[in-house]
Amino acid sequence: MSTSLRDTLVRERYLLRFSWAMQDYPRHKTVVRELRRELTATASEVGMRRAVTDLGHPRVLADGHLGELGRPVPRWTTGAVWGALALGAVVYLAMAYGFGTLDTLDQLGGGTVERVFLGATTTFTSDGDAIGMGTTLTWQALVFSAAVFTVPFLLGARVWRAWTPAPAAVLA
Amino acid sequence: MDEPRDPQLLKGVLPMLVLALLTERESYGYELVTRLHEGGLDDLGAGTLYPVLNRLERDGQISSRLVASTSGPARKYYLPTDTGAQRLWSTARAWQQLAGTVDALLARATTKESS
Repeated sequence: MSTSLRDTLVRERYLLRFSWAMQDYPRHKTVVRELRRELTATASEVGMRRAVTDLGHPRVLADGHLGELGRPVPRWTTGAVWGALALGAVVYLAMAYGFGTLDTLDQLGGGTVERVFLGATTTFTSDGDAIGMGTTLTWQALVFSAAVFTVPFLLGARVWRAWTPAPAAVLA
Repeated sequence: MDEPRDPQLLKGVLPMLVLALLTERESYGYELVTRLHEGGLDDLGAGTLYPVLNRLERDGQISSRLVASTSGPARKYYLPTDTGAQRLWSTARAWQQLAGTVDALLARATTKESS
């Protein structure tokens, strides 16, 4: 029996939300794949809407799986978001500084200014014919950028959880 | 009238009940939910059972096999392993001892309250 388009959409919408909530679960794609098969099979008995409803909220189901691990797991997705936000903030500040410098140069009648930060020389040019920014790449700047991303990433991911020992075998 | 059931009480014994039902006969996930409903756990959701099945299989207490179905896709049937059977036996004994202790303590409290 094939699954209708409507049922497929209902199933995949649920699985998408479940998959998002399960991202930190080890080998979560296997769990999602098995749940897809289980949902499809159950829907052939009781209908897709009932099958999905019986599972409850996808976040609660994911919490159930994570809880059964018996130990906290790193939250890599959260860490990646923290890292990206930190890096984005630094890029935003650098661009704001650059445009501010160009505006100032323009107000002063134009010219060229060089600034050195972390060994990288950045040149700001603003005159009647051209406006622009250019910089060099140094290892210090690369290390700084990597640190700006990595430190929030590791903190946001609670990376120390990766070394949390698995619990001893518990009673069924 | 039945008292509302504390989900935490069920959480502790659900793996044992799953092993017990699978010892009777192999079942697939949704069938187990139905059997648990019929056994009196009518407020149990499938979403509570699947993580338990997943963990029991990961711990090697149950095994699974795919069985083709005429009414839909293949079903994943579960059966206790030898480890699961031993675990059921030891957990059932631990549960009976705990239940006896709890009953005795509750009986004392109930007697004191009524006197």
